[in-house]
Amino acid sequence: MTAFLVRRLCWMLVTLWVVFTVSFFLMRSVPGGPYDSERALEPEIEANIRKEYNLDLPLSQQYWLKLRQMASGELGSSMKKDYTVNRLVAEGLPVSAALGLLALAIAFSVGLVAGVVSAVFRGGVADVGLMAIATVGIALPNFVVAGFAIILFVFTLGWLPAAGWGSLEQLVLPALCLGAPYAAYVARIARTGMLDVLGQDHIRTARAKGLSPFTVVAKHALPTALLPVVSFLGPAVAGILTGSPVIENIFAIPGLGWHFVQAAIDKDYPIAMGLVLLYTTLLYTMNLIVDLLYGVLDPRVEWR
Amino acid sequence: MPPRLLTAFVILAGLAAGVIVIVRQGQLPPADFTFNNDTEVESLDPAVVTGQPEGRIIDELYEGLVRLDPKDRKPIPGVAKEWEVSDDGKTYTFHLRRDAKWSDGSPVTAEDFVYSMRRFLDPQTLAEYAYQAWYIKNARRFSRAARGVRPGDPVEVELYELPPGALPFARGELLRGELVAVETLPGATEQELEDPARYTELRTFLVEIDGERRRFRVGEGPFPDASPAKQLTLAFDQVGFRALDDYTVQTELEAPTPYWLNLLGFYPLAPVKRECVETHGPGAWIKAGNIVTNGPYMLQFRRIRDRIRLRKNPHYWNRDNVALETIDALAVQSLTTSFNLYETGEVDWITKVTPLIARELFEQTPPREDFNPDAQFGTYFYNFNTTRAPFDDPRVRRALVLALDRQEIVTTACAGELPARSLTPPGLPDYEAPECAGMDLDRARQLLAEAGYPGGVGFPKIEILYNYEQQHQTIAELIRKQWRRGLGIDVATRNEEWSTYLASTRQLNFDVVRRAWIGDYLDPNTFLDMFVTGGENNNTGWGDPEYDRLIRDAKFESDPAKRLELLAGAERILMTELPVMPIYYYVSRSMVAPYVYGWHNNLEDRHPLWSLSIDRGRPRLNDFMSSKPIRPIVLRPQAADTPSEAAAEALTPPSLPAEEDER
Repeated sequence: MTAFLVRRLCWMLVTLWVVFTVSFFLMRSVPGGPYDSERALEPEIEANIRKEYNLDLPLSQQYWLKLRQMASGELGSSMKKDYTVNRLVAEGLPVSAALGLLALAIAFSVGLVAGVVSAVFRGGVADVGLMAIATVGIALPNFVVAGFAIILFVFTLGWLPAAGWGSLEQLVLPALCLGAPYAAYVARIARTGMLDVLGQDHIRTARAKGLSPFTVVAKHALPTALLPVVSFLGPAVAGILTGSPVIENIFAIPGLGWHFVQAAIDKDYPIAMGLVLLYTTLLYTMNLIVDLLYGVLDPRVEWR
Repeated sequence: MPPRLLTAFVILAGLAAGVIVIVRQGQLPPADFTFNNDTEVESLDPAVVTGQPEGRIIDELYEGLVRLDPKDRKPIPGVAKEWEVSDDGKTYTFHLRRDAKWSDGSPVTAEDFVYSMRRFLDPQTLAEYAYQAWYIKNARRFSRAARGVRPGDPVEVELYELPPGALPFARGELLRGELVAVETLPGATEQELEDPARYTELRTFLVEIDGERRRFRVGEGPFPDASPAKQLTLAFDQVGFRALDDYTVQTELEAPTPYWLNLLGFYPLAPVKRECVETHGPGAWIKAGNIVTNGPYMLQFRRIRDRIRLRKNPHYWNRDNVALETIDALAVQSLTTSFNLYETGEVDWITKVTPLIARELFEQTPPREDFNPDAQFGTYFYNFNTTRAPFDDPRVRRALVLALDRQEIVTTACAGELPARSLTPPGLPDYEAPECAGMDLDRARQLLAEAGYPGGVGFPKIEILYNYEQQHQTIAELIRKQWRRGLGIDVATRNEEWSTYLASTRQLNFDVVRRAWIGDYLDPNTFLDMFVTGGENNNTGWGDPEYDRLIRDAKFESDPAKRLELLAGAERILMTELPVMPIYYYVSRSMVAPYVYGWHNNLEDRHPLWSLSIDRGRPRLNDFMSSKPIRPIVLRPQAADTPSEAAAEALTPPSLPAEEDER
């Protein structure tokens, strides 16, 4: 297992380097820069700005300087704003993580229950109803869900605050909207997995032994049915991370997501670069965790 | 419980606890007053910022020599309790109040203002707004550093080494002397020498210091025949901004500038504390805990992309007249979210609403008691590229302007914006902007025929350039349709991403381009001096010697009435020659809760927070709702686009509701 981990971490470094290189040159090849404004800048000021951010150096030299800086873990300062990328990550990452975790928890708990229920009552009203909702849920992007949720829960029922950050109440709606499409996916995957398992011999044996239907489902069928759901954890985390900018914008949550979008719009190279690398690391780590979980859940899997 | 299940539970419980801890860290007691500041501010350093959201915070954190009245934006005493103006209108002497204090309790002195002005003008500070202070004598030359000096000038050479005993982020040691000669490097071509960006790179400066001649080059070096210098500038004592004693500041201007006091109240010219800046350095001195300010409020904390919390400054001289103890400035970017927060009572002021929501608000019955749009000092217009045919012919430009139906544009694409027939927006007390003619299709067709394109025949296909945004697109499509329908000419539209659009605009790489301008100060000059020949924001290729003369004469005219006459003359030329096509004037669309008092609509759409107070008993209509807009603002204006009726409308006193349906 150690060899497996070491190998995967080496690959992660290679991936990070490739991502860094590609994004570095992509960003520099876009016309314009962070200091474009309607009013022309004085040449002295422009020259000093370029010097300050090493933009006056040849591209190759900029590349090495930036690579060395990134390797040291110092992500640099924003070119437009007066804070460092490290401070931004330190303030924003916990917020995004809390939102993401809650969204994941909602996605997996709701999705799993719905999936299992519709598999057990296959063909019944519950099955058709839940799967219809799931299909709609997959089709609707999260900002549409958010719009309806705000109209319903904020303006019609008045149960929840419209936006903001600072209480669990304020986190409910965004987590729900962020997690909803994934709950739908999980429900469908769990249903398929469960149906597969329910048709197998050991389930028939368990039933024949006279075990209660609940024990059969919960104890004998569920662990096996969970495997495809767990493998969905990787893509789900990726989707929730990349989906969060929209939700963070709608619900005014001070997470990392919108910084990412804004940095690209502003051509704020250091923020964009820092966040690209951070997201790469996060996604890679999540995939690694999912691979490790596989081994825990299914003894037949070997880490190689 | 099997160990595997137990582990899973422990992990889940840990994660849940983590979420709760993170959320709890975000919990705050509510502030007295909350408003949405629209975005995360770029910085809290007054010298380097340029945006409105930054201005709203900096106006509260700092206080300049003068403040601007929340209602009419006239200068009122700030740190300076009184001032005198010399007869020629060029020299202002400010007497500072003795009780003005920094938030650490130390006094605000004249030296603080001189330090801050030097820092603001220094190109190393990267102050994009530095030109706002170029009215000061020699300030522009100082800002241009080595490019601003000539042999014979007293200069200052800044070295890389710090003077002994200096704070860690102080400026380098300064050597004072006289510039003897500027030598160009051998081998540099004429063309290279003219490039402003490489000016210092290719030159050696010979400076006489204490009777000794020394050679300097700007840059870290090492240089074979010269000492390295960080920067070479005009000596700061040549700049017309000085301290006469601890509590007297004198400013000497290049020309009488009637709006100089207003500029002094503008946030980039606010003072900063030298000790604080030089101890913590760039990026760190503005952090809560480090920052020292002199305004009505101080920074309690700042959470990126969440909020800035301001707390009343106990050392502020006028603290007894500041009502609110704490203020939250949210950084909510989405206008819909901002509106939702306002409607659920989470915020007390939002600075704008989307046109879509504004349309609903206009039509709501009973009328809203928290929505009262007013004219703003900004204009949306199109530039013609007069270096290209057919726009080099003024008859063509006039024809295009005459074929424009502004009424249709403001009713279709806007929400309450006012049709514009001049570049300077209405509302200045003593200035009536000369207007261009309103829509007249017959005359337009006739002019086009005179220019050689009867019925649009033979007219080349032209293109409207805009940067991508929904509203710009709608307007461009409308104008394209109007020109096609009215003049029978072929028009296309092209959209570009912001920086490409800016580059195209500057390089005159367009036929017709969308532009907009918000005035920097309440004077027609902020709009008109853009269009002098070769002006850096002219972007039309147009120039007129008479126009340039009027703008220049106005600059040196000390009689205010004559000055405005000269400017009106210039605008008349602009509205006859029409290198620009005014489309609409901006309108402010704030929503202010009915229990907020001391918030006034004004042309600049700037609203200090120190004058605000809250009375939830709502004893009377608040200041926001009780004011009448400069021109009637309605969703579907019926006013005609013809000169006579517009003139009648302009003459209507602002206190009376103007007639809109004279037709």
